Amino acid sequence: MGLKRTVEEINARIKKGDAVVMTAEEAIDLVKKDGLEKATEQVDVVTTGTFGAMCSSGAFINFGHSEPPIKMSKVFLNDVPAYGGIAAVDAYIGATEESSNGRHDYGGAHVIEDLIAGRPVKLKATSKGTDCYPRKEIETFITLKTVNQAYLFNPRNMYQNYAVATNSSDRTLFTYMGKLLPNMKNATYSSSGQLSPLLKDPKLRTIGIGTRIFLGGAQGYVSWEGTQYKTNVPMRNGVPSASARTLAVIGDMKQMSTEYIRALYMNRYGISLAVGIGVPIPVIDEDIMRTCALTDEELFAPVVDYALQSRNRRPIQEVSYAELRSGTINVKGKKVKTSSLSSYYKARQIAIELKRQIMEKEFLLTQFVQAMPEERAIRPLDVRSREEVL
Amino acid sequence: MGSNRYMLFFTPDLINEPITYRMVKDFDLMINILRAEIDDTGGRLMIAFEGSPQQIKSALKYLTDNKVQIKELNEYVHKDADRCTDCGMCVSVCPVSAFVVDRGTWKIIFNSDKCIACGMCIDACPPGAMKLGQ
Repeated sequence: MGLKRTVEEINARIKKGDAVVMTAEEAIDLVKKDGLEKATEQVDVVTTGTFGAMCSSGAFINFGHSEPPIKMSKVFLNDVPAYGGIAAVDAYIGATEESSNGRHDYGGAHVIEDLIAGRPVKLKATSKGTDCYPRKEIETFITLKTVNQAYLFNPRNMYQNYAVATNSSDRTLFTYMGKLLPNMKNATYSSSGQLSPLLKDPKLRTIGIGTRIFLGGAQGYVSWEGTQYKTNVPMRNGVPSASARTLAVIGDMKQMSTEYIRALYMNRYGISLAVGIGVPIPVIDEDIMRTCALTDEELFAPVVDYALQSRNRRPIQEVSYAELRSGTINVKGKKVKTSSLSSYYKARQIAIELKRQIMEKEFLLTQFVQAMPEERAIRPLDVRSREEVL
Repeated sequence: MGSNRYMLFFTPDLINEPITYRMVKDFDLMINILRAEIDDTGGRLMIAFEGSPQQIKSALKYLTDNKVQIKELNEYVHKDADRCTDCGMCVSVCPVSAFVVDRGTWKIIFNSDKCIACGMCIDACPPGAMKLGQ
């Protein structure tokens, strides 16, 4: 193996204004033109991006204390229930929580977007009242400016690859993968492929706890492994060809923009949040440059039939992101139209914006403080007796 | 020859009149009925005309003379550019391929002249960017 670089060395070059930063798309072109060895020598950082529905998201908010003070137990933001079982004036609003007033198309994600947009949000809270917190109810308006803290803390974002959804049944299915037309009339997918952060560093050699990332327009951090993190999956070209690793991320909502955070409503399914994330990948050696330069032709995802209402959906076949992005895929000899659920346009904007921030010394790279698990299998939930779980 | 799409609105008292038949016969138009529905507010007929601009103009005049309200379909569904995230969910659900991905910019282009106002994109659009026109 040839050249090696440390994050420290790269940061020194960024501070001097000497660092060469490229988006993953640019890195692909460079490796094609100059070869892997030369490209590794030339480039210090490769920026990636993704903008897609990431249901497992939400925000912690501290509202500040009222006079007289209240220990909020039931909390509503624009009539969407938030979890108030944490201290007195902290709450967690989950992105997929639906409004309590009967509106199906407004939920936690919309509250988060409204707050980031600077729009006032109605806070309603009730309490049993205690000697130290005598107040029993409050109704007021908040904005991001009036609250103490508001930060996204998303337990599972940035899935490393994800299955393509189709539907072989004779009725339309309304899913978190969007509207799936009957008789495999369409298929939907949700990864930015060759721009996607975790496909470009498939073993997470440079991404771990503490890694600074672009999150919703702010500088955020990787805070933990994501829920449902797994590594025991099929591989193609050294990269998972099914959903695998995930990351938990955290970032200050006060620094975010609705350009990169957007509430979604999946008709007859529910609410989700589109989150824009960019990860800078330090080019520490040739091997990382090789994976950074993998193209949509070399990255694969499984096609899954959502007509089967079971966790044991076997993939029908694998397709490349190049095929998915062409507009049609061939499933069992049938031409199926494809739709992307994540925005490749926005993914590219994020990779470009992150590149700009690094080149203008606004964004420095981090050496993680703890690597992610190398191996992890996922556990199912079965109905068991008390004795069986011991 | 041009092709034009319109939504025709019939008040309840017009529903039993063979207005469309007479229009086709008298103005020698080729038509394609894209959608037709009747409820207690009246009837709506989504229709594409093929014919010379003069033929279409005369047919439209005939319809207005018979108290049929006309709306050009181009205005029926519109895309809110601020709301659109350019994901592309609409692309595979549209039955007439009115949405295309620009393969240079990866933005989603809505060709409203192809739209038949079926509304499939409206409830399929996750950020809620596709809306009925006024």
